[in-house]
Amino acid sequence: MTEQEIIKMTNEVFIDSFEIDPAKLLPQANIFNDLGLDSLDVVDLVVALQKKFSVTIRDDERVRTIRTLGDLQQFILTIKKEIGK
Amino acid sequence: MRILSIAFLNFIFYSFLIIFSLIAFVNLGSLIILLALFLPQRKVYKFLRQAIRWYGGVIIRILAFPLIRLDYKNYGTNDPPTPYIFVCNHRSACDPFLMAVFPYEIVQVVNIWPFRLPALGIIAKIAGYLSVREIPYTEFAAKTRKLITKGVSLAAFPEGTRSRDKSIGQFHSAIFRTALETHAAIVPVCITGNENTPPIGSPFLRPGLIKIHRLPALTWEEYRTFSPFKLKNYVRGIIAQEVLAMDKIK
Repeated sequence: MTEQEIIKMTNEVFIDSFEIDPAKLLPQANIFNDLGLDSLDVVDLVVALQKKFSVTIRDDERVRTIRTLGDLQQFILTIKKEIGK
Repeated sequence: MRILSIAFLNFIFYSFLIIFSLIAFVNLGSLIILLALFLPQRKVYKFLRQAIRWYGGVIIRILAFPLIRLDYKNYGTNDPPTPYIFVCNHRSACDPFLMAVFPYEIVQVVNIWPFRLPALGIIAKIAGYLSVREIPYTEFAAKTRKLITKGVSLAAFPEGTRSRDKSIGQFHSAIFRTALETHAAIVPVCITGNENTPPIGSPFLRPGLIKIHRLPALTWEEYRTFSPFKLKNYVRGIIAQEVLAMDKIK
């Protein structure tokens, strides 16, 4: 899976699960302040991402450090690379 | 001269507030303790929440006048029966007192600070008010579900903290998840003119007209297909639109 595919699929989660305007899905967009998710929405986000990418990230401590959409895309990319090894 | 008259009105307000609060706490407190000996717990809670409403009503309608005037408009005359979930924008520390305009048994969902107020914080805790940031979501959900089932309405300020300007902050979804679970009608409440009652960093009230618009309720049939995220942003949009219109009219 390429980086571009991961970015596209991550954005699809925000569009499908949260109906967020694609124009707002910029790498620097803060998930909380700019996209409007809260701690409970993040739980829904994690579930949707797990389903979309067939990964388990719920208990991954690195999730807590994610602030922007770009951080999230990089995190998914890292997870996919780790699985592929 | 104007500053002196505002200072004088604040002095009068706070003096009467302290005297009234002492009288109210002693008398209503004694009455509630007495009722608790003879009446079922549910009736005592109902009386206590009603007493809080009276207390808040006297403060905002009588003691704060003429410093603060209230303009309450109810556009929800065709709303379904209670319980409701009142969702309000949040600009002032006085907002919890403004909930006294609603003639229902209400439990407020508050941030941490109201629980730390002397005397009032203890009463809020006894009345079952919920400090949303101090309890896990599962406990919050269980408690709000129980209250709604008993016919108690909820009032929440989903921005969490008061806005520092006239913009409306992002909403937290907890109260909207309760709505989706319990099917309670959501009542958007728009409050303006309260930015300086008191301004951030000052205890002194500035003269002003506080407008409260209760908008028509959003029923479960209308929002049942929404996700919590969509619902919170939908209600935020309704409130933002009305608040913008209210701010434009002086």
